[in-house]
Amino acid sequence: MRQKLLVATALALGTLFAGAASAADTARAVIPAEREEFARVPMPANIHVEYSELDGPVFATPEGKTLYYWPHTTMRNGVTGDTKNASACTNEKTTHTAGLMSPYPPGLELPELDKRKSCAEVWTPYIAAADAKPTGAFSLVTRKDGTKQWAYDEHALYTSYLDKVPGDVMAATTSNMGSDGPAAREVATAPSAIPPGFLVTSTVLGRQLLTDKNLSVYMSDRDGANKSNCDANCARTWQPVIAPASAQPQGDWSIFERSPGVRQWAFRKKPLYTSALDSGIRSLEGGDVPGWQNVYTQKAPQVPTEFSIQDSITGTVLADAKGRTIYYYNCADDSVDQLACDQMDSPAAYRLAICGGGQVERCLRDWPYVEASANAKSISRTWQVVSVNPKTGHEAKAGEPGALRVWAYKGIPLYTNAHDKEPGDLYGHGNGEFISNRNGFRAFILRDEFAR
Amino acid sequence: MKNAKSMLLAGAAILLGGSALSAPAAAQTADVLGLKNGTIGYVLTSAAWGLHQTPDGKAECPDGYNEGPREQFKVLYPNGGTVEGTQLERESASRYPLDKEDNFVYREAKGQVGLGMNLDGKVDANDFTSPDGVKGVDNQLFRAIGCTRLFRAPDGTFANFTEMWVREMGFNRILVEITNVDNLANDDDVTVSLYRGKDKLITDATGKNIIAGGSNRIEDRFSKRFTKTMKGKIVDGVLQTEPTDVDWVWSVFFDHPGYYGIKQARIQLNLAPHGDRAEGMIAGYTDIDNFYQQLVRAWSTHHSSYGGMSQPSLFRALHRLADGVPDEKGVNTAISSSLNLKFVQVFIEHPAPKVAAAESVQRATIEPARR
Repeated sequence: MRQKLLVATALALGTLFAGAASAADTARAVIPAEREEFARVPMPANIHVEYSELDGPVFATPEGKTLYYWPHTTMRNGVTGDTKNASACTNEKTTHTAGLMSPYPPGLELPELDKRKSCAEVWTPYIAAADAKPTGAFSLVTRKDGTKQWAYDEHALYTSYLDKVPGDVMAATTSNMGSDGPAAREVATAPSAIPPGFLVTSTVLGRQLLTDKNLSVYMSDRDGANKSNCDANCARTWQPVIAPASAQPQGDWSIFERSPGVRQWAFRKKPLYTSALDSGIRSLEGGDVPGWQNVYTQKAPQVPTEFSIQDSITGTVLADAKGRTIYYYNCADDSVDQLACDQMDSPAAYRLAICGGGQVERCLRDWPYVEASANAKSISRTWQVVSVNPKTGHEAKAGEPGALRVWAYKGIPLYTNAHDKEPGDLYGHGNGEFISNRNGFRAFILRDEFAR
Repeated sequence: MKNAKSMLLAGAAILLGGSALSAPAAAQTADVLGLKNGTIGYVLTSAAWGLHQTPDGKAECPDGYNEGPREQFKVLYPNGGTVEGTQLERESASRYPLDKEDNFVYREAKGQVGLGMNLDGKVDANDFTSPDGVKGVDNQLFRAIGCTRLFRAPDGTFANFTEMWVREMGFNRILVEITNVDNLANDDDVTVSLYRGKDKLITDATGKNIIAGGSNRIEDRFSKRFTKTMKGKIVDGVLQTEPTDVDWVWSVFFDHPGYYGIKQARIQLNLAPHGDRAEGMIAGYTDIDNFYQQLVRAWSTHHSSYGGMSQPSLFRALHRLADGVPDEKGVNTAISSSLNLKFVQVFIEHPAPKVAAAESVQRATIEPARR
C-alpha cells in the first residue's frame, strides 16, 4: 500500500542524482546537513524525535522506531481505521475480505491464510508502562485487553516491522490515495517549526515549502543573505512573501526590510517569493526559470546515478539508464485491517494478477525488474539494492540461484514496462485495481504538471 | 469528391442543428472576434464520443443494455470463493482478456442512423446514415459502445465525467489555432494547428458557461505529442482539415494521463460568423489497443460497474468491429469513430523564445540518458 509519489518541486537536476561520493552507509538514515527544524513540544520520556529521509522529523520510540497512526477512514462501502482514543488493530487474524472496496462483495477468502498475520502483528501497538502519564498531546488509550497504548493527538500509535533503523519510514504514506486508496497508516510527524503562513508537504524530492494557500515558494540565486536583488520589475513576476508586522524571526527564518516598511520573509537567509506565472498550486514551473528554485526544508535522498529523468505527457518521470519509465507496485488488501500486499513478503497473487494474469513468466516479460548494475550499492534507506527471487517476488536468500539484484524504493522493488517504447511513455501507469490506487502499478512521477 | 464534400458539410450541419452556428455568413475580418493578422484561436470546452441516442434507447438498443462487472461476477461466482479465484481472476481477465472464454451476451448498437463522417468514401452495409440523410457514415465504435450505459450521455458516468473534465482538468486543455485566414466564411487554404494549453478556462458569473475572449498559453514542454499542424479550408463557414494522425489528449482522472490515437483524423468545425464559438467533430480510426488500455488504466472495474461496462466483453467487441488501419497480417487495428466537439474563442499565447531556449538548456543535461 501506501506511498503515493507526490508531485514534487523542480529540484535542480544536478542535485537529484547521487554521485559516487555520496554513497552512504545504509545502516542509518541519510539526512542532509540542512534538515527541517521541528517545534519543541512536550513529550513523554520514552518518545523522542528522529529525522527521516522523506518525512522530516518524526516521533519515535527509544529504539528509534518511527511511530505511526491509523486515521479513521471512509471507504467506498463503510469505514475502518482507528476512531479517536481507541484502537481497532487487534490480535485477531482476519480471514476474509470486508467488502470495503467496490465492486467486489465481502466474504472472499484472503490469500495465504497460513502465513497471514494479525493487524497487531504487522502494526505493533506502542504499549505504555502501567504508570505512564499523559504528556502534552500524548495521551493513553485502553486496548481491549486492558493494556495502555500511547496516542498522539488522540490517535493510537504503532510501530512497523518494516522499519529497521532509526528514522526509517518504510511503512509510511507520504500522501494517501484518496477515497479509492487503502485506509493507510500515517507517520506521526513532529510539527514543523515554520511561521504562520507557510506549509511543508512531503514529496519524493523533499519536504517542499509552500504558503498556507499551497502556492510554491521560490528563492533566487541572485539574492544575497537577507537581501533581495529582485527589483520592482522583477517583483511583478516574483512576488515577495511579505511578513506581517507581528511576525518574528525564528530559527532558520529571518525577516528583512526590502523597502521602507515592507518586510520580506527569508529562509536560511534566502529571500522568499511566489511566482505570478504559476499555473496552479504546488507548481514547479518557477523552478524551470534559470536562477530560481523551489524551496525545501529538507531534500530527499538523491536517486541512483544510473537512473535518468524523462519528460512525459504529464510531467517528468524517473527512468532507467535507457530512458524507460520506472514503476512501483502499490497494494493493500480489502480486509478490515487494510494490510499491505506490496511488500516482498506479501502474497504474490495480487501482483501476479495485474502484471501477468497470474502467470509469472508473463509478469517477468511485461514488467521486468529494474536490475542494478554490477557495482551498484544501496545509497540510502530510501534507495536500496535488494535481492529478489524473480519467480516468487520474495526476498532472495544469500547465494540463491537465479536471484536478481534490483533497485527498490523504500524496500519495494521497481519495474519497467515492456510496452513503453519511447522515453517518457506511460503505458503501464495506472494499471491495476482502482486505477492502481488499490492494487497496481504507478509510474514514478517526479513532477506532475497537470494534477490540479 | 464534390459529393463527399457535401456529405461532410451535411454531417457538420446536423451536429449543429438549430444553433446559431448553422447560419454561415460572409464574415468580414473586422467583425470577427479574435481574428487578428489572419489568425484565430479556440479552446475545447466539450467532447463526447459520437453516439446516436434516441430518448428511450430502444431504436439503437432493442435488446437492452449490456451487463457489467457486478452482474457477471454474480453469474460466475454465485457462492463467492477466494480472492485469487474470484476478484483477482476478474482483474486478470481485464488485462489478459483472451486467457478465458467470455460467454456473456454482448449487445451492439443497431439501426441505420449514426453520427460521424464517411471516412473511406464508400457506402457499405455496415455504414450508418446521418440523421439528415448522409450515407456511408463510418462509426463502428458506436456499435461497440452504444448500448453500454457508461458511455451514453448525459447519465453515463464516462460521458458525464469526461465531459466535465474537458473543462476542469488542465491536462485536457486542447487549443485549435487557424492561421492564414483571409475570411472566416470562405478560405480555400488555411493552416490548422493543435496545441495543448496550460491555463484554466474563463467562465461567466454562473461559473458554468465558458466565455470567449480569454487567453491561454501553449504548453510546449510536455505536450509535443499533441502538437499537430494540418492543412484545411473553410467552405461556407465550415472548416475542414485534411486527414492526419492525431493523438487526442483526453484523460479521465487527475494524475492518470492518457490520450486516444486517432488515425487519419479529420476535423470538421462550423465556425460561428463572429468568431466566438465553433462546433463540430473530429473523426477517424481510433486505435483499439490504445482505446482499451485507456479504460483498463484509467477506468477501474468499480467505475466500469457504474455503467454496465465489462472490459473483457468490450475487448472482444472492439476487435470484432475494428474496420481500419490493418497491420501487416491484414488485421484491423483501429475502429472508425467520431468525437463531438465544442470550442470557444481564445487568444493563444505562444511561448516566448527566451523561455524556450532556457528549457532546452536544462533538458540537454539529461539528453545522454535518452535512447
